Amino acid sequence: MDSYIIELEGVTVRKGGGLLLDKISLSVPRGECVGIIGPNGAGKTTLLNVIAGFERFTGRLSLFGRRESWKRSREARLRIGYVPQLFQIDPAFPILSSEAVITGSIGRLGLFRSPGRQERERAMQLMEMMRMAHLWDRPLGRLSGGERQKVSLARAIMQKPDILLMDEPTANLDIAVQKEVMDLISEIHRQQGLTVLLVTHDFNMLPGSMLRAVFLNRGRTIFDGDLDAAMSGEMLSRLFQYPLETFDRNGKRFVSYG
Amino acid sequence: MAEYLLDAFACPPIQRAALACILCGASCSLLSVFVVLMKMPLMGVSMSHAAFAGAVLGMLLDVNPALSGFIMCLLAAGVLGPLSDRTDMAPENVLGIMFSFLMGVAFLGMGILTRTKAGALNLMWGSLLSLSRSDIAALALVTFLLALFVLLFFKEIRLVLFHRRLATASGVPARAIYYALLFLTGAVVSSNLATVGGLLIFALLVQPGATALQLTYNLKHFFIISAASGVGSCISGLIISYFFDLPSGAAVVLMATIIFAAAYIFSPKRRAAKLKKRSMYNEDDAR
Repeated sequence: MDSYIIELEGVTVRKGGGLLLDKISLSVPRGECVGIIGPNGAGKTTLLNVIAGFERFTGRLSLFGRRESWKRSREARLRIGYVPQLFQIDPAFPILSSEAVITGSIGRLGLFRSPGRQERERAMQLMEMMRMAHLWDRPLGRLSGGERQKVSLARAIMQKPDILLMDEPTANLDIAVQKEVMDLISEIHRQQGLTVLLVTHDFNMLPGSMLRAVFLNRGRTIFDGDLDAAMSGEMLSRLFQYPLETFDRNGKRFVSYG
Repeated sequence: MAEYLLDAFACPPIQRAALACILCGASCSLLSVFVVLMKMPLMGVSMSHAAFAGAVLGMLLDVNPALSGFIMCLLAAGVLGPLSDRTDMAPENVLGIMFSFLMGVAFLGMGILTRTKAGALNLMWGSLLSLSRSDIAALALVTFLLALFVLLFFKEIRLVLFHRRLATASGVPARAIYYALLFLTGAVVSSNLATVGGLLIFALLVQPGATALQLTYNLKHFFIISAASGVGSCISGLIISYFFDLPSGAAVVLMATIIFAAAYIFSPKRRAAKLKKRSMYNEDDAR
């Protein structure tokens, strides 16, 4: 049973009279990187919220081989890293980028234990990996959007998760930074063997290690399979209700917006 | 002048008032860190009006006003917490509705209060010179509990202040921390009704935190600066009110505003941000 680290069966979410997820089923084996793709309002974020334990649902959800209710147990929470969309922070807010990364260790430390040298060393390693060790003492609110998203990614990895949930981590970033963040996600996925679920709109900027795509539309799964099969003009046009074409260059498939 | 001041502090009611000032400044300014960083100044207003409404109702029902004020704060926290957790309602709207409702309850209570309204008005402005030993003991207990809460849960508090959802996702009991904070807000506000009153306390719930926000990026220093600024404005306000025969609550609030204005004008954070912006413009010009 533990071969699937995430298993959803007939998961439905209703809110404010609307149907956000309609009997979604999804099985993700350990170590896979899955793209959750779909137009606005498709239910992508809701799906991540169900797995993260932020959303009430009906149906069946199993994580790490154990059935879970809508509220996540502390043990399960510690094994799930979460990277939200880029959020605004007051530039004067009293937190340094290094402190923000170290907050990732707080759940594992438990109450009444403070982060020590070990946590600081790990945070430094992660900031070096993100190529931002020089920003160790910089206030978080004074970083650029891309730098803040890399801190967010480092904070999630600091938690030592088995599953990494990412909700449009490159939204509102410029193209070069999007590429840098996606390359880092690929690197982390390969190095640490994490199971990654990544919500995105942008097919031209998918991490190289992503081999599977799940297309959602109006709360339903309309495709679940190989990324190469998903990346066809016909499939994408049907998903987004907009004429899209694909072409190959340098061994990679790209989407043209017509 | 110093002799005059020493003579004044030899008097027990002034000693009690000075001690109350320190405790009031410390408790309100520690709480102010949360109010400012969670951007919820309306929470302070709502809680102060809940305490005020509860105290007026207590006077109507012949119950200790501080106790009834505290109970009303807890009830308000019990409503505010779950309502502000709902995603279909903006927390500012919830707080705005609560604030106006509680103000209505307080004024209704004052309207039907048959005996003298002086006691009720004292709860609005506070009265540092008429504090009893039990008032001070309650204030000391609440200040101690709040300081203990900050010391014991500092790392969890940092994450909850930074991003509540990330705190939950990381396995931190963010909801428990938030509710403990609402409970402590109720306790601080209701125990300070007798010192600075239900209206003026709002200034002490915002200005010390806003002052610290101008001066540091370090959260530990933030708490210390906020507490120093709160205690400083309370003590200096008391001394000024004594020398110039002014209402003490008003003097405290004016001192808190002056300290904030000085911190804003001389803020090293603002200066550093300005310099960085200027150097970016210069780099752009050079290109």
